[in-house]
Amino acid sequence: MGDKVRFFGPWQRLTAQLWLLALVALLFADIEVISVDPWAELSRLALGVISPDFFATEFLLSALWQTVNFALLGVAFGIVLGGPLALVYQHPFVAASCAMVRGVHELFWALLFLQIFGLSPLTGILAIGLPYGATFARVFHDILAQSPSTTERGLPFNTDPLSRYVYGRLGHVYPLMLAYIRYRFECALRSSAVLGFIGMPTLGFYLETAFRQGQYSEGAALLMLFILLIGTISLWAKKNLIPVYLLAALWTIPDIGIIDGGLLWRFVFYDLLPPGIQGVIYTQMELSDGLNQFYQWLASITINQALPGVFATVILALSALGLSHLVALIAHLVASQHSGSKYRAVAGQLGLLVLRSIPEYILAFVLMLLIGPSMLPAIIALALHNGALIAFLLVKQEQGITPSATYKKRADFFAYEILTRVYPNLMGLLFYRFEVMLRETAIFGILGVATIGFYIDSAFAEIRYSNALYLLAVTALLNVVIDFSARKLVARQVEDSIAHGRSCIT
Amino acid sequence: MLFSRISLLLLSFILVPTVCAQTFTFTAIPDENESQLQTRFNKVARYLEQELGVDVKYVPVKSYAAAVTAFRNNQVQLAWFGGLSGVQARRLVPGSDAIAQGYEDQFFKSFFIAHHSVELVASSNFPNLNGYTFTFGSKGSTSGRLMPQFFIERNIGKQAKEIFSRIGFSGDHSRTIAQVEAGAYQIGAVNYKVWESAVEKGLVDTSKVRVIWETPAYPDYQWTVRHGVEQTFGSGFEAKLKAALLNMKDPELLASFPRLSFVEAENQDYEPIESVAIAIGLLD
Repeated sequence: MGDKVRFFGPWQRLTAQLWLLALVALLFADIEVISVDPWAELSRLALGVISPDFFATEFLLSALWQTVNFALLGVAFGIVLGGPLALVYQHPFVAASCAMVRGVHELFWALLFLQIFGLSPLTGILAIGLPYGATFARVFHDILAQSPSTTERGLPFNTDPLSRYVYGRLGHVYPLMLAYIRYRFECALRSSAVLGFIGMPTLGFYLETAFRQGQYSEGAALLMLFILLIGTISLWAKKNLIPVYLLAALWTIPDIGIIDGGLLWRFVFYDLLPPGIQGVIYTQMELSDGLNQFYQWLASITINQALPGVFATVILALSALGLSHLVALIAHLVASQHSGSKYRAVAGQLGLLVLRSIPEYILAFVLMLLIGPSMLPAIIALALHNGALIAFLLVKQEQGITPSATYKKRADFFAYEILTRVYPNLMGLLFYRFEVMLRETAIFGILGVATIGFYIDSAFAEIRYSNALYLLAVTALLNVVIDFSARKLVARQVEDSIAHGRSCIT
Repeated sequence: MLFSRISLLLLSFILVPTVCAQTFTFTAIPDENESQLQTRFNKVARYLEQELGVDVKYVPVKSYAAAVTAFRNNQVQLAWFGGLSGVQARRLVPGSDAIAQGYEDQFFKSFFIAHHSVELVASSNFPNLNGYTFTFGSKGSTSGRLMPQFFIERNIGKQAKEIFSRIGFSGDHSRTIAQVEAGAYQIGAVNYKVWESAVEKGLVDTSKVRVIWETPAYPDYQWTVRHGVEQTFGSGFEAKLKAALLNMKDPELLASFPRLSFVEAENQDYEPIESVAIAIGLLD
């Protein structure tokens, strides 16, 4: 490695590149601030926040409970799926398939499963479990790769492969994996709530309605409960209680109902077929006419929806990436125990909890009233959410850092001693979160920002499933391309950053 | 160990037998105030149970598209659809019938509302909307999207995306009002009933946002019953259902929709909606 210490080292270079990329993206982004008078609506919102109504929501306890149920069962399904896949993740086909599955937002998985299972809980559990499984596969694989091989080499020659794996490999990284599962459980609670937006009986069902219809007292109460639920995970989600919760979840989840194989068949072999192809198979359309119609459809949807959608999505996500970096740095400084008084750190950490718990959808909704319907509310919402999440993980990580004896709680000391130690993790996390940001742009599509999510949402609203499928496939492919190039970029810059980032996530 | 425990749990969960009696299931999304849906519509379910003599269940859904899907998949057999979603549903399940509509739905209309900074005066002539920013309601809404877009494109003779400098889909009528009132969009299209009740309740500052145009009348919400209910629930069921809906007089039940009463309707009433949807490219 480098024998010379340069002032402009690899981390500075990576940071500069990140900012250059974000600034270029901002040039193309629609960030117009539309001058408005939002105060009437905002005062109604503020009034709601100071007078939360905890009795406005019907079946509130059930909604809270189901939010936990869906998260638990989704994560459990994800582990069952991702655990074995992690062992074969080095195969490019597995890695690419997982990246494709991860690239599609839970909401869109749910919209797909909705066509087959209806409002059965299977829709929600699969919508969480499938992309989470693909994520577990990748992260478990990376964690396993970090486990030292010394123990395995020391095992007796005739040890069976299973014991070899369990004692030699898993034993080393089991706590890391468990910690990662715990972190993903928090994410799953958010996902579970968000699935309420499309009809699952979780908190989001009522939260979305309340904000959409301006019932802010009800919305504020729900949001507070949700933040409380996430903030107290460590109190109620005890390791030994998890099997009890799982059993309870199986008992209390709504009825699955009858699964109709005919619906699956019709959805896959009829609904999803693009125009033209459908005509050739099911009506007496000539093959050449069918192909012609198919080509017209493909050209039109590619030029009018897929390409502009992908462009807006990438621009939005890149701009948010740069801003997230800034938010993470500032939020980390504010909430770190090494930078200010204890009270400030506690207040800062509370702020991080609120920012990372509020669904981006709600953040963007409020920002849209403030600064108008451009891409800017979405960029800021993504940056606040992800920046706060990264800062939260950094604050957790640096609990293990003991500063030198001469350390003072000042910005310069902080930058020199603390930030330098967590910076690789910050960058690793940021690049890891980029994939998440890309996926989350879907939510803003539903709010009206013309990302590819906007067109997918329209396709579902217009009951044009072949359009939805094509656009989802484009989204998934985009994620594969970005996943591979981001890994290349970071790995070339700083060889061990991915490993660092990964251990920080845990 | 952990893995096997969880997979066992999951397996048992998939194999749990489910019992399903012949329950008549319906869904409804009111055009305003979606709070306490289950509580309110359970009362409608009890009423129908009494009138029909079968078990009746209400299923809440979040969007018109979800309602159409549930209808198509026979997860609901009756739905309170918007004009457009009803047409979509009846195209997907041929033989299904619109059997009743709200009294107001015989001559429904949309309002175009504008922020006070917009220099357009209220008139019965179609306003010159060129160059403004504009928001529709939800993408699948008849009064918030379909009819407004149709009248705009027919009157101006261009596609909506060529007329406006920015187009949004607020997702809901009350949000359309909030966004135009806040000036986030200059002009918006909104369900007239939602606007009138917002003004009545003092939820909108009429010095900030006002009505500048109203559309001609068109048919909107209706009850649609799924093809095949007669086989499941006995012949004459559809007629019985229709009578039950038309005889719903309890103001508390009617307030859930909210409608004055229900009157007769048939599929033909919605032909204009279908041709409009085809004209603007929402249906093939």
